[in-house]
Amino acid sequence: MISLRNVEKFYEAGATKNYVLRRINLDVAEGEFISVMGPSGSGKSTLLHVIGMHDTAWGGEYFLDGQPVHKLGKKERAELRNKTIGFVFQSYHLLDHLTVYENLEIPLSYRDTAKRERQSVVADALDRFHIVGKKDLYPTQLSGGQQQLVGVARALIASPKLLLADEPTGNLHSSQGKEIMELFKRLNDEGTTIIQVTHSEQNATYGSRIVKLEDGWIVNN
Amino acid sequence: MGTIWQDLRYGFRMLWKSPGFTTVALLALALGIGANTAIFSVVNAVLLRPLPYRDPERLTLVWWSAPKLSLDQFPASAPDFVDWKTRSGVFERVAAFKGASFNLTGGNEPERVQSAAVSADLFPMLGVQPRLGRAFADEEEQPGHEKVALVSDGLWQRRFGANPGLVGQQVALNGESYTVVGVLPPNFNFPEGDTKIDLWVPLSFDPKEMSQRGSRSLIVAASLKPGVTREQAGVGMNLLAKRMAEEYPATNADWGIQVQPLTEAITEDQRPALLILFAAVGFVLAVACANVANLHLVRAATRHKEVAVRVALGASRLRLVRQFLTESVLLAGVGGVLGLLLAVWGVDALKAVLPSDVPRLEEIGVDASALGFTLLVSLSVGVLLGLAPALQRTRPDVAEVLKEGSQSVAGGLRRNRVRAALVIAEVALALMLLTGAGLMLRSFWQLREVSLGLDPENVLTMKLTLPAQKYEDASRQTAFSEQLLQRVMTMSGVASAAITTSLPLSDTSMTDFVVEGHLRQEDVEDQIGAYSSISTDYFRALRIPVIRGRAFNEQDTEKSAPVVIISETLARAYFGDEDPVGRRIKTGDGDEEGGEAKAEGKGENKDKNNAGDEEQEQGKGGADEHPWMTIVGVVGDVHRFGLDEKLKPEIYFPYRQQPGTEMALVVRAASNPSGMTAAVRREVRAVDAEQPVYDIETMSQLLSESIATRRLSVVLLAVFAALALVLAAVGIYGVVSYSVAQRTHEIGVRMALGAQGRDVLRLVVGQGMILVCVGLLLGIGASLAVMHTMSSLLFGVSATDPATFACVSVLLAVIALLACYIPARRAAKVDPMVALRYE
Ligand SMILES: Nc1ncnc2c1ncn2[C@@H]1O[C@H](COP(=O)(O)OP(=O)(O)OP(=O)(O)O)[C@@H](O)[C@H]1O
Ligand SMILES: [Mg+2]
Repeated sequence: MISLRNVEKFYEAGATKNYVLRRINLDVAEGEFISVMGPSGSGKSTLLHVIGMHDTAWGGEYFLDGQPVHKLGKKERAELRNKTIGFVFQSYHLLDHLTVYENLEIPLSYRDTAKRERQSVVADALDRFHIVGKKDLYPTQLSGGQQQLVGVARALIASPKLLLADEPTGNLHSSQGKEIMELFKRLNDEGTTIIQVTHSEQNATYGSRIVKLEDGWIVNN
Repeated sequence: MGTIWQDLRYGFRMLWKSPGFTTVALLALALGIGANTAIFSVVNAVLLRPLPYRDPERLTLVWWSAPKLSLDQFPASAPDFVDWKTRSGVFERVAAFKGASFNLTGGNEPERVQSAAVSADLFPMLGVQPRLGRAFADEEEQPGHEKVALVSDGLWQRRFGANPGLVGQQVALNGESYTVVGVLPPNFNFPEGDTKIDLWVPLSFDPKEMSQRGSRSLIVAASLKPGVTREQAGVGMNLLAKRMAEEYPATNADWGIQVQPLTEAITEDQRPALLILFAAVGFVLAVACANVANLHLVRAATRHKEVAVRVALGASRLRLVRQFLTESVLLAGVGGVLGLLLAVWGVDALKAVLPSDVPRLEEIGVDASALGFTLLVSLSVGVLLGLAPALQRTRPDVAEVLKEGSQSVAGGLRRNRVRAALVIAEVALALMLLTGAGLMLRSFWQLREVSLGLDPENVLTMKLTLPAQKYEDASRQTAFSEQLLQRVMTMSGVASAAITTSLPLSDTSMTDFVVEGHLRQEDVEDQIGAYSSISTDYFRALRIPVIRGRAFNEQDTEKSAPVVIISETLARAYFGDEDPVGRRIKTGDGDEEGGEAKAEGKGENKDKNNAGDEEQEQGKGGADEHPWMTIVGVVGDVHRFGLDEKLKPEIYFPYRQQPGTEMALVVRAASNPSGMTAAVRREVRAVDAEQPVYDIETMSQLLSESIATRRLSVVLLAVFAALALVLAAVGIYGVVSYSVAQRTHEIGVRMALGAQGRDVLRLVVGQGMILVCVGLLLGIGASLAVMHTMSSLLFGVSATDPATFACVSVLLAVIALLACYIPARRAAKVDPMVALRYE
């Protein structure tokens, strides 16, 4: 499903180039559950944002679902992304002035989903994540765990084939983290491809494969 | 005291340190305050400042009014005036005024001098002392008394070289010798705003005038007795009018009296336009203030932290409020000073373009009261600007703000609501200004569409007044005009030339008339028409089309049967589709046997401003004063009173049959005639070396002057509306930009969640345009409510003209869209990575 060939990314600091990703070659098959691990600053988040197409300034080749992402224009990328990918952020990134319900609705509103359908999809998600009672609350009125739960729900709202999660349990208690991991496992069993960044060996065990990054290089594989 | 200095220094530093904010704010305030000061200076000089007379609030003009004849503010006759003076009981002094003109000869060029015949009482009534010599003595009003005159300061300087020995000397006026008894003070004129009068003679009535109660041509001024109000005077005078109506039913039935404050009389023509302009600049200032307040609030958001720290360090609430007030008053103060400079420049520019019939024009200037006005406005603006944010800013939850850190939720809902309200207000005010300007513009266009009825291109006009003594009888007048025309017509470059006794767009002569076979109707409007005596080539010279019958020709002489030509409007009113040629018409009200007094008047009611010009009216005494005259032609209508005036019936006489001493020469040239003046003057001098010409203007100039006030109002309103539009656009741009900056993170997240460029554009533009739409709706509502106050300034367009409303709304919406679009595009370019990295 994903194929990265010699993907490189660097930041320019004066005359020198600081490489963050170096010649990354990575293949992910449909239905895999991959954990990306590595020390802080090794480029995990960067890699995830490249795959999630938030980042556009990189070199190399990237095929997603057979489509050459590196050749696609801005619009086509956005379409491909909206169709394929859901993203869970390291620090939730919920919108503070929108309610839980409205936060969940955002991705749908950018995917030309009809109002009626949006309502039923959001209602389903609220149900599935047991947050129906919270739907009219604002993010600041939720605990960290609840916020991340909303973040996950939002990532899944448009039924993506590929779920990208950047340390989804980073800010959570181990018990809350476990809940999320169980959820990921279930999703993976249902067929969703998952790539998660994690520091926790324990969380990595939920996955089928570990990719180790160090200073921008993939070190195992 | 020391702390105030500190506040000031700190305030200066803060303004200095944010040059962008300071520049925009100062520019907005300077424009707003400057426009207000400039227009205030005009309004103050023209409308507000007391007239330069003694007890101006007691001075009034007294008029006849005859609602049944739809006549208003009508002058008085000599016997009326004497009755008013002796029998009113409510006035301290009553003085009459009548315009006149004299040919001043002797010395250099002969000159035609604007003059007035006035009661001796006028000068003591106004409290005016001549700067040299004395005013008139009562006995100088008696007919047959030695002839005396007062001269204006201007004439004294110009014509007599400011010679202090002039008093007591003789001057030649219309060929007669007058003794100059005094020189009036500089800038004295009466009534203000009318023609500048350079020569004053005592007004006296001969027995004939005293017997003509129906011949109304005197403007009467009166000062109220101390303690008598204008209303009481009105009541008293109307009682007198009733008694007079019983005593003189033939002439005075149905006539009432109107007592009008002199101030109102002088300013009524300019008042609506000036007040509208004043309101307009008030709006501009309001928009400017809303703008600066908005900028202020943005800055307030960034200074949240400073305030919190100050409070934590023990600053009292009062101290903080004072700090912020100092800053905003400082800002407004500097804005005020810049505005004042703009105003000084603006007033000079205004004075140069204001039409010369604006009363008290020379008094306009940025004076002490304008300074006071600016100070007051600047201070209020400063306090207003400072107070709202100061109160808001000094009430922060200290702990909250300090904890929040740099990434504060900046502002919070309440402040955003204030900012939104300010933008809405700006849009609404701008829309009202645009609507006003739009309506005026439409009116102006409509006016330009009106056809004058004659071709003003390449026509030179000038006036001549033959001295009655020298040109006593009709044959002499005719001889003069024919010699003059003969000479002018042979000049090179002249296509045709003609004489008229009443020049379109300049003179007004009105007469009652009766059409044979038609009874006088209730609708009086159709029974009063303009008249003029013209030479044979008049229609050709002005290219007025002859629609039926013929123009006058050489066969229409003083010995042939009396003939007239009528205008299309008159023909339509009385003859419909029938041919009027061959029918008969006569002047007067056709009620000859109704009494001596009525038969008297040709009913002339020349425009009151020119009332005196008819002084030289030809005697047509005798039994055949109003003979039947045969209509020989119908000509096209001429908008002789101005493009915006309703067409009135018009009657033309052959000059040879009804000559006069007052005439205008019209010369059609092959090309631009302005260079021909000297040559034409030479021809006049060749006919009579002592004959002056005056009011030399091209017909195009006359036309352009007739719409000068209107054009100026349009231009000024358009400028102010444009100013408001720009300010409102800047305001919208500021608010949207600020909100984009505030929402960078949100926009990044949305893009990461699938929003594309157009979604972000829609989000940001939509947010701005909601405010704009609310503002538009409010502005349209308010405009519908207030625009009717402009009705008197509009022409051919209703105050609620849907097209104008639609156009200005679209214009404003488009500009607003642009103001939203620019920051929205910036928002659409937000790199989601930058927002997401902010972890
Ligand atoms: N805008 C930037 N400019 C320069 N360098 C950057 C920028 N953003 C990230 N980096 C660098 O890229 C490297 C990789 O960052 P990345 O966020 O991918 O690390 P990470 O593996 O996710 O770390 P962590 O476990 O702390 O989240 C870091 O060394 C970081 O300093
Ligand atoms: Mg990371």
